[in-house]
Amino acid sequence: MEVVDKGLLQQLVEGQISDIDVDEMRRMTKKDPERFWTYLDILQEKVTWDNKILMRLNDHLYIVMNGTERIVKCDCGHEYGDYRVNWKLHTDIRTRDTQDSMEQVYYPAAAAPDPEWMELREFYCPGCTAQLAVEIVPPGYPLIFESFPDLDRFYREMMDKPLADESPDWFKDKTADFLAAL
Amino acid sequence: MATVMKEGLGLPLEKTLAYKLSQRDTTYDETGCYWGTKELTLKDQDPIKYEQFFSRLQSAVFAAREKARYVAASPGGREMGESVWALATAEGDTLAMSLGFISHCAAFPVSIKHMIDNDFEDNPGINDGDVFGTDDPLTSGAPHPGDTYTLVPIAVEGEVIAWACSVNHIMEAGAPQAGSWPVFTVDTFMDGFVFPPMKTGENLRQAKWWETLWMRRTRAGAMNILDDKMRLAGCSMIHGSIHEIAEEYGVEYYKQACKEIIEESRRMILDNMRSTLIPGRYEGSCFRISMLKGQQTIWKHADKNEMLHVHTMFSQDEKGGIVFDTEGSSRWGYHGFNGYPGGSDVGLYLGITTTFAHSCKASAGVNMNVESIYHEGSIYNPDTEFAACANIWAQSMQMQCLSSSAIHRNFFMRGYLEEAFAPEDSWDGVQGSGVLEDGTPYGFTNFEWVGGGAMGAYPFKDGTPCTWAQHTQLCNVGNSEEFEYLIPPLHHLGRKLEPGYCGHGKYRGGVGQSSVHWMQETGQRLGITRGGSATSMTTFLSSGMNGGYPAPGVITVTALNTNIPDLIKADGDTPTTAGEVLAYAAKGKLTGDITSWKYDPPEQSMGDNDLWANAAGASGGWGDPLERENSSVVEDIRIGQLPEDFAKTMYGVVATKDEDGMVTMDEAATKQEQDALYASRKADSKPAVEWWKEQKAKVESHTIREELLEMYRSSTSFAGYDKHYRNFWQLDDDFEI
Ligand SMILES: [Zn+2]
Repeated sequence: MEVVDKGLLQQLVEGQISDIDVDEMRRMTKKDPERFWTYLDILQEKVTWDNKILMRLNDHLYIVMNGTERIVKCDCGHEYGDYRVNWKLHTDIRTRDTQDSMEQVYYPAAAAPDPEWMELREFYCPGCTAQLAVEIVPPGYPLIFESFPDLDRFYREMMDKPLADESPDWFKDKTADFLAAL
Repeated sequence: MATVMKEGLGLPLEKTLAYKLSQRDTTYDETGCYWGTKELTLKDQDPIKYEQFFSRLQSAVFAAREKARYVAASPGGREMGESVWALATAEGDTLAMSLGFISHCAAFPVSIKHMIDNDFEDNPGINDGDVFGTDDPLTSGAPHPGDTYTLVPIAVEGEVIAWACSVNHIMEAGAPQAGSWPVFTVDTFMDGFVFPPMKTGENLRQAKWWETLWMRRTRAGAMNILDDKMRLAGCSMIHGSIHEIAEEYGVEYYKQACKEIIEESRRMILDNMRSTLIPGRYEGSCFRISMLKGQQTIWKHADKNEMLHVHTMFSQDEKGGIVFDTEGSSRWGYHGFNGYPGGSDVGLYLGITTTFAHSCKASAGVNMNVESIYHEGSIYNPDTEFAACANIWAQSMQMQCLSSSAIHRNFFMRGYLEEAFAPEDSWDGVQGSGVLEDGTPYGFTNFEWVGGGAMGAYPFKDGTPCTWAQHTQLCNVGNSEEFEYLIPPLHHLGRKLEPGYCGHGKYRGGVGQSSVHWMQETGQRLGITRGGSATSMTTFLSSGMNGGYPAPGVITVTALNTNIPDLIKADGDTPTTAGEVLAYAAKGKLTGDITSWKYDPPEQSMGDNDLWANAAGASGGWGDPLERENSSVVEDIRIGQLPEDFAKTMYGVVATKDEDGMVTMDEAATKQEQDALYASRKADSKPAVEWWKEQKAKVESHTIREELLEMYRSSTSFAGYDKHYRNFWQLDDDFEI
């Protein structure tokens, strides 16, 4: 296999692919660079809104163009604002910090983290209530900014297709600015 | 031009190791190419000859492993994937590796540089067929003294042109706490048999005193000597092969081709990185408890509990190679969980080597594409020469999975879903020492849950149990009977998968595995501890994948003075997993002094019919669990991998299993339960900004337990993390954390 076609990639995205096909893909000597575009095509067709997807971040979340802004958007349509701010600050958070509540998500009970030391955070989309992320950290731990891609560099250097609105500002973490303004 | 001779060695200067090492570094700094090799001349002129040459090198190291492990070896070396053989250049850069522990290519250059920088060429001399050994984390790049290295120089007419290298994980390291990953070790003097690089033999033969040292300084001397013979046997084979190859191709061809091989693979590995990663910043964290308070009264400075914090930032350099910064990770301490940079790299390289050194020659080319940043004073770079490192793997396995986690997020973002999964590699080793009835002392490690664990969930499919080990391609949990034979009092009452024990999600991680060790004929004494990754106090990593839960930590359950003989007499129904030990105890069927440990237990003195049960190797989930297909939940119940009551709380699936094993799902009740779970998400959550304000107040009022405040103080003593922490909680510069 030299290129993964759209049909096959669609099966992979939907979790309906056969193990044999997956093995074939893994045996590719070189990954097909055009995959990224096919992936974006498939994802763009799946969502119900029109903003141009720049990158997939998560099962549900995308970095998209919104006018002149680059924002995070859920497939349900909920918007999370500037992608340079950790999107978890725009979710709904549930904290599990008791033995009982931890045992609801870990089994057997002996495997549940210790609420005397750790808390479990679940991050939900305010729009569709999907669980977007889970963190298990001590209380007082800053939210983890899992993925902050340098879109300009990726599009220019790796994909050879620079974005029209390139600017060094796009790769500046704005999380602290957002918090300072609260 | 007159040849400049190196005084005392009788060698032209350019043939000395010291010269080669400095030239390698200068030319790389100047050109960005290995040894300044801009053109792959030999490859271009005669590619067939060049590839044949490389395949000869590769065959030599493969053959070494396949034969040497049957010459002599402990089970970890022979049967499991706990070893590697490699051929390195004169400067210690890897050219070819056998199957096994390939990330140890990070350590060879550290040992060899240490010997060169300390004038070993002059004293004790580095001659063809000499045997050197080491396991010292500070000077040799060994992660910990359980990983033991043999290095044999290969010289032609006095000029060292290569090294045959080997490492394997030995069964017992000779520390006060028996086994190969002591937890309670205050400083390097309690790490066991630690030896910096030293000459231990000549002409491919170890000195007699070397065997005596193993017998006197470790508790499994016989096993450790077998492993030593195994490593040397393989190195001798490589030594012989390389002499043949160098003669056949000529020494000049040999030396030039080796430079081209590494430069070629440097380029290809960089290309593999650039073509699958996305430049950016990817943050990761995880935690590991060190619970030592009250375990001793002699070393007061070690008498404390510490939550170790591992904080990492994965990014790219301007070429597209990997930069991995560990700033914010805890300061080193008086415990065995520290490491030095060489050994930390052996950890970090686990995932990077296996992920990117494909479709090319797997060589030191990988080293040149990774910049690891270990801040001075941290657990990865202690500002003392005496830090204990005996159990670095207990957290470095997690540290390296943070880099893999960033890599796999990248695969997902770029559309290479077939390569993406939740990489978590929880492991556990049962270790200890005892004295048989007849007075024979012994030490041991049971490696089974080191040899293999579960794959994490993929973005399209569940993870599979017992199918991978990040540190080796040779995932293998070993043979029950062999461990029972080598460790006299431990018998498997059970050894199987632990149902429900994984990170759950839309796709769940592979479930972990569990053993129940039953003590019989414990003799005069038996003491047991564990070495392993995160205990169940924490999860393996802190972040799950896209809404899935990360892998749970390792479960340890001890049961002393049990009624197992009565159960065997009654109907033979005894617990077969750690979970079952606790369930049988809860039902009152199993009696005794039963403890489920959230941290590493202090040494347990065990007698006949006591149990040590552990569960490890669970992996993480991917995606929102409420998006899991009901039919997949039902199937998990049917195959006995998911208890019905937990299926309801976790997935909202209401189903019952009848006596014939048929599972029936109640559609209406399931719908109702799942609606209720969604409703509880709404009811029990709050907007993040509101949450942030409450948490900030908690941070500002220090209403966090003291050990955790200490952890934050330790991490924020590094300037970059201090800024990160204060920025996030919007704390003034003069606020005392
Ligand atoms: Zn949504």
